[in-house]
Amino acid sequence: MLRSRREGMPHWPLHVVLVGFTLFTIYPILWVLTIAFSGNQSLAIATLPEAPTVMDRLRAITPWPETWSFSNFVSVMTDQPFAKWMFNSVVVALGTTVLGVFLACTAAYAFSRFKFPGQRTGLMAFLVSQMFPGTLMLIPLYIILVQWLGLGSSRLGLIIVYATTSIPFSVWMLKGYFDTIPKDLEEAALMEGASVGRIFWTIILPLAKPAVAVTALFSFMTAWNEFILAATFMDQEEMYTAPVGLRFFVGGFSQQWGYFAAGSIIVSVPVVFLFLYLQKYLVSGLTAGSVKG
Amino acid sequence: MSASDPQQTGDGREGVADRPLPESEAPPSLHSADPRKGGQAPGAPRHMRVLAGLVLALGLVLALAHGLLSRTVEDLTVQREDRRALVSLHALTDLVERAEGSGDAARAVVSAWQDQMRAGSAVRVIAFSGIKLEASTFPEDVGDKAAPRRLAREEKPIYDRGQRLRTAVETNQEEGGARKAELETELLSNGGRQVSAPVEVDGSVVGMVEMATAPQAPAPKPGLGPLLLWWLVPLAACAGASFVVRKQGLRVVASVVAFAVGLGGYAAYSLRTLEHEVRESQEVVAAQLRTMAERAATVLAEQQLPAEPALRPGHWDADEFRRPLGLVSPAGEVDAAVLAERVEEVASGVRRTFGGLAVLGLAVLLFIGMGGLARTVETVVEHRQAYLYIAPAMVGMLVLVFFPFFYGITLSFTDSNLYNSSQPLSDTWVGLRNYVEILGDFTIAKRGSDGALVFNYLNFYYTLFFTVVWTVTNVAIGVSVGLGLALILNVQGLAMRPVYRVLLILPWAMPNYITALIWKGMFHQQFGVVNHVIRMFGGQGLAWFDSPATSFLTALTTNGWLSFPFMMVVSLGALQSIPAELYEAARVDGASRWQQFTAITLPALKPALVPAVILSVVWTFNMFNIIFLVTDGEPGGSTEILVTQAYKYAFQRYRYGYAAAYSTVIFGILLLYSMVQNRLSRATEAA
Repeated sequence: MLRSRREGMPHWPLHVVLVGFTLFTIYPILWVLTIAFSGNQSLAIATLPEAPTVMDRLRAITPWPETWSFSNFVSVMTDQPFAKWMFNSVVVALGTTVLGVFLACTAAYAFSRFKFPGQRTGLMAFLVSQMFPGTLMLIPLYIILVQWLGLGSSRLGLIIVYATTSIPFSVWMLKGYFDTIPKDLEEAALMEGASVGRIFWTIILPLAKPAVAVTALFSFMTAWNEFILAATFMDQEEMYTAPVGLRFFVGGFSQQWGYFAAGSIIVSVPVVFLFLYLQKYLVSGLTAGSVKG
Repeated sequence: MSASDPQQTGDGREGVADRPLPESEAPPSLHSADPRKGGQAPGAPRHMRVLAGLVLALGLVLALAHGLLSRTVEDLTVQREDRRALVSLHALTDLVERAEGSGDAARAVVSAWQDQMRAGSAVRVIAFSGIKLEASTFPEDVGDKAAPRRLAREEKPIYDRGQRLRTAVETNQEEGGARKAELETELLSNGGRQVSAPVEVDGSVVGMVEMATAPQAPAPKPGLGPLLLWWLVPLAACAGASFVVRKQGLRVVASVVAFAVGLGGYAAYSLRTLEHEVRESQEVVAAQLRTMAERAATVLAEQQLPAEPALRPGHWDADEFRRPLGLVSPAGEVDAAVLAERVEEVASGVRRTFGGLAVLGLAVLLFIGMGGLARTVETVVEHRQAYLYIAPAMVGMLVLVFFPFFYGITLSFTDSNLYNSSQPLSDTWVGLRNYVEILGDFTIAKRGSDGALVFNYLNFYYTLFFTVVWTVTNVAIGVSVGLGLALILNVQGLAMRPVYRVLLILPWAMPNYITALIWKGMFHQQFGVVNHVIRMFGGQGLAWFDSPATSFLTALTTNGWLSFPFMMVVSLGALQSIPAELYEAARVDGASRWQQFTAITLPALKPALVPAVILSVVWTFNMFNIIFLVTDGEPGGSTEILVTQAYKYAFQRYRYGYAAAYSTVIFGILLLYSMVQNRLSRATEAA
């Protein structure tokens, strides 16, 4: 039945490979689900007896909790400050999206529609800035943000940094889309006496809605998933974002794997679905822009 | 006073007469920089431009110079007061030492000393044996707290300070050098200063003398007169000249000359002020020394303390290691040669500063005067809409991306670290030392005592090697697995393809820090699933993070797991865009499957796969989260990649300057990579 009609080559070896790989792929995800629903903090799926048999061992690696319980989810949101961390993440990610997309839209529009001195340089500078190593930026950013602006452990500081660092990618992405919108529309509007601002807000932006939406979602995801900057800038526990908080559960000597697993699932579910929806845009956007880091 | 001399000299006379002119002219000339009116029209606006340039450039530079001068004068004053206090303290310490550091003799010395000090000053002597306050003239130490008494519990900081000084002295003696400060200076809450010195008797530290000085009078500020003079006079001269001269070029020359005169004049004034300060400091300190020497001699006689060895006042003017500064001769006279040297030092500093200011000012002047500003403004106005739309993003990028980048590069030439990060960068400047340290250290491995190779995991080249291995293996795994899966998924009529596709993409969709932490948990030595599997097949669980090879394997597995979907999606996209007719045609021509693959599939994949590989090389090279969260460099930093190593230097060892240099090197590598890659891709496109 799994036989290719035309070639006569059987499909089942392919399915064996695929199933094998799929198991390898989803095992860590099942593992984290198991721990999350196990109701305790251990990273072992099952407790082993003194002299474990092969079956006991097999049980210990089967991603199925011994008892099902929602307690990890409940207590991570109530007993632990995780709800607060999630809130921080939501605020930061939304703020980044709004600010970043606004900045990127206006800049991309100018890059796409106007001819002006510095246009090429500006675009290239945006591209090159993507190569700046994060650690090189981290120290000066820390000095500027924390020591000069006093924005350490503040959501605003993180929003500003995320928004500006997301600009280059968003600008390139949006400019690509703006370039595809025919200029006739604007020329007609100009003839009618519309100002550039009016054209931008009432003609271009509505037409570019899909691209803007995609850019916004990427900005959101980047801010939502960012770890290093947040870990460096947010040193008060109550101002952690979700990634920093999750690491707090299992970093160092802390071994609260149940909280970590439950938190991970809460954090991942929205972005995983977002990602699955967005990935076709991502691939085209990335490969079109060549080197970016 | 020398300070007011330059005001009456030279070209001042005619300048004063013209003074109202530039002031009344300046505002319109500023407006004339507006290109809508200026620029094209010959004559008046252009000559205003030169004047406006001069006003701004000279004003800016002089304001900066004035600020620097005030600060330097203030620093010198503070230094002088410190030295005076120290001279007094050293003289007193000398006497207390002669009184063996304790007892009535010491108390008598202290009370005799107190008489001649300024009101608000106070002295105390601590003896370590018995933790005693031997003598004190501090206002709080009266009544039942009067000396001598045992130190109270809340006075422990005083005793600790004494012990610190003792340790410092002993350390320096042992090392035969001067590494630890043998004096402590502290700013008191009332604005005065407190200085502490150890008391040495027969070569060992037995106590401490502390002196609190009254708050100092604020340092005199350099007057605004010279500033205004050297600003307005050249302006007036230049304005007058530009009425006479009709050629724009000559006007610019005139403005440059005027600028030079103004700045030079103020430089001369600064030089004189500072020289005067330095000389006066010496005089004051020398006078203090003489007074103290007299006073000490008197007290010595009064208290009948041993007069041998003779007092050496020259040694009282000393640095924090109690080494004589040598600015004042032992007899208390100003040493002219040393003083001249010191003045020359200050003067060269002033010359350097003014040189820098001159360059800055000339740039501003010429930019405005030659019409650079006018043209810039013109361009901006002409394209104002474009710039308006760019501005918000550009400002953000400038402040938070480009500025930090260049600041980081500047930082890489300094020795900035946790303890001196508040100092100006010029104070911690070390030139290329960080780079030499990073790139010049080739001791990657050495033979241990048992002949085995011991790797130096902190070495840059080791980390670079590891990073390259890490990148190459990961990209190889990503491409082969991703391409393989894509080829399988692309088989015509494969059942359940969408399901496989979605499930296989999941690792890419998961936030990678979560992935990293999950795998770290699964590689746990005792409870980790991976070790359970090994044990199930009869093996022993491994301590994964105890050896570099296994530790590398954990990171590789994690990164392989999360990076193959990208390659798979890219390859699949490219594969699906190949028209089926091509294969049909190939089959008709009798091509084998392998021939079809190499002649059709691979060339079709190339345009998509090459950028993807280039991209994923950069990603993997910079894959901070996986290394940082999975192996964390364990064991002993052997599995750090360059970016995590740089992070460790910055935020765990707090060597900001070194870390910045490290990161700059990383940037250089990436830049080189992208340049080579650009060259290559252009070559292949052309071919």
